[in-house]
Amino acid sequence: MAKIKASYKVPILTGEIKIPKVVPGASAYEKMYPGIKEDMLAIGFPASLEDGWETKAVGIFKQLLTHNKALKTYMDICVRCGACTDKCQFFLGTADSNNMPVGRAELMRRVYRYYFTPAGSLFKGLADAEPFSEKMIKKWFTYYYQCSECRRCSYFCPYGIDTAVITMAAREIMDGIGIGQKYATEIIHKVFKIGNNLGIPPAALRNTLDDLEEEINEATGKDIKIPMDVEGAEVLLVPPSADFFAMPHMESLIGYAKVFYKAGISWTVSSYASEAGNFGMFIGSYKNTKEINKRIWDEARRLKVKRVVVGECGHAWRALYNFSNTMNGPFDFLDGKYKQPTHICDFTLGLIKDGVIKMDPSANDDKIVTFHDSCNVARASRMGDTKDGQLTIPRELIKACANHFFELRDGANKAQTYCCGAGGGILTDEVMNVRIAGSMPKMQVIKEVMDNKGVNFLALICAICKTQFTNMYPLYGFDKEMVGGVHQLVSSAIIL
Amino acid sequence: MIDLNFLSGVYVLLTYFAAAIFIIGVLIKIIVYAKTPMPVKIALTPAPQTKAGSVGRVASEILLFKSLFRANKPTWVAGYIFHVSFIILILLHFARHFIYHYHNGVVSLPSWYPLFVNAGIVFGILMFLSLFYLLFRRMIVDRVKIISIFSDYLILIILMMIAIAGLSMNFLISASALTKIDNRLDPFINGIATFHPINIPSNPYFLVHYSLILILVAYIPFSKVMHFVGVFFSPTRYMTDNPEEKRYYKPNAKDLSL
Repeated sequence: MAKIKASYKVPILTGEIKIPKVVPGASAYEKMYPGIKEDMLAIGFPASLEDGWETKAVGIFKQLLTHNKALKTYMDICVRCGACTDKCQFFLGTADSNNMPVGRAELMRRVYRYYFTPAGSLFKGLADAEPFSEKMIKKWFTYYYQCSECRRCSYFCPYGIDTAVITMAAREIMDGIGIGQKYATEIIHKVFKIGNNLGIPPAALRNTLDDLEEEINEATGKDIKIPMDVEGAEVLLVPPSADFFAMPHMESLIGYAKVFYKAGISWTVSSYASEAGNFGMFIGSYKNTKEINKRIWDEARRLKVKRVVVGECGHAWRALYNFSNTMNGPFDFLDGKYKQPTHICDFTLGLIKDGVIKMDPSANDDKIVTFHDSCNVARASRMGDTKDGQLTIPRELIKACANHFFELRDGANKAQTYCCGAGGGILTDEVMNVRIAGSMPKMQVIKEVMDNKGVNFLALICAICKTQFTNMYPLYGFDKEMVGGVHQLVSSAIIL
Repeated sequence: MIDLNFLSGVYVLLTYFAAAIFIIGVLIKIIVYAKTPMPVKIALTPAPQTKAGSVGRVASEILLFKSLFRANKPTWVAGYIFHVSFIILILLHFARHFIYHYHNGVVSLPSWYPLFVNAGIVFGILMFLSLFYLLFRRMIVDRVKIISIFSDYLILIILMMIAIAGLSMNFLISASALTKIDNRLDPFINGIATFHPINIPSNPYFLVHYSLILILVAYIPFSKVMHFVGVFFSPTRYMTDNPEEKRYYKPNAKDLSL
């Protein structure tokens, strides 16, 4: 949990997003903790910078350029038109020019031009090219960890240049030479060792679930179970592990349990694949992403389920929806009737539409709800059958569960949504000022609907968004109870 | 070849040299972009689910600069005017050549030819003004200024000089001198194209314009102008959003970055 410190720079909320005057290096002081030796080694990276690292870095860079079309084209074709310069929440919050998407990408392009273009190797400085140096790697480590890989810049770029691709490649190059980030590498290590990001062992997980079952029983008088490791269940539910432990995440888990109970569909969570999140993606490591992803499909096979449903988690949905089939598919051992995987919102809304479960939206009449589109859902994955299902399905579900719903301002919403400020593996306390700065644009538009519409509940479908806003709300002077999952609304509205 | 004067000899060599660099350079880039695999699906959603939809999406970027329009209206206006006038001017230059070729030059030019020339002048001015705005913006807007590098200014200045040199032939030299250039340009280009080069029109205004274009053409494969090829190969835009329906499998992507 974040402690409120006097040193935090919390912007004043006016409901407006102003484009700041550029201050180069304004957020250079915010750095990640470096990766710990045992975590780095465990996930296949050197522990620290070794002699000859420059050559190694160039080698990895070259390999990425020849195996990743996006990286290769995005190194070449930027015209520095400036369309992206005022689009990144981290630039808007910090005013640091290296946090403008193009500024961030230029940190890599300078090195690219030096080693991989004739102009760069001939004219060096005149071609704005420079070799790998410790100074440059320090800049990379700072600014490629002030990016949440949210892809808002790509939406506005005339060529679709995706900074997430560039950030991931930069992190992959840095990891390859022993410059890792503690937060992500530690979490990936935990997933392999224990099964989830939070490092909850199976026995502890069962205990938590027992407590939760008791809690639900007290509140509803119903015998609602959260089964674990049940072979032959119809559905394997893979939530982000925060849903087991953190607040308000657990409210959503209760919501999922009620939906399965009322629909009469047998389900199970897994102690082996107890994590939907995939931090391998955050650090751009195909190998780690694939290995983490594989756990879920191995478990689906072992438990002989018919389908895999994914809980409320943004980047997990991207990794599962977009990459699963490529990395670990095809899923012909699962029931072909269903999409594999299915998003929990799609699943629940489907049951409501089919009349299997019923909602009483008046149960949420104390709440005036707004919805924050999570970047990895809105801009990186689809939900359901229609082109923009990821935008319509959560909204339809909220409207089925609550009578008072208001949209955030256009331009900060749907495909143009600002990131919560902590995605992409930067949800860690050592960069709290970056997180605060990055949350500013979204907080401004939330403040706007709070003032104009009396909104008192922010509905989310991402574990990182939930933690980030739960941390941010008190800093900006709001009650953190005003943040919660969409299935928290489902949980209160469902007629049992 | 033997009849060429020294100046023409130099220009003929430079012309072939620039054309070769351009053709080979652009082809290499196309091959590299086309052949480099993309390990995973990274379509920026909401994205089309069909190939036809994706073609439409890329076309709307290329023909209308849709994303730039959403991002920044003034830049879109100037950028769009520049690109449209640039394309039209290239087409007009080709058309000019064929008009001369089929009408045997000044002897029997069509009656609408002055209109054709005036269109070129109008688009030349538009091209210059839009470039001027883009340069001005690059120097004034602090966010754009800080990211601008030498090559960004270089390309703007080359293009502006080409526009000025081209326009100057319509304004600064006499009609008879212009006619002389016009009459000698068409056979010169035909000579280049058929590998039987003849002397180049020697008017200095024309030579400046022509030299700058050779510089531009040879510079393109090494510059950011390659976005005209790259825009077709941007995975966030051309990819379809159907990973569940159709397995996207790249066996050579193992263990590499996303």
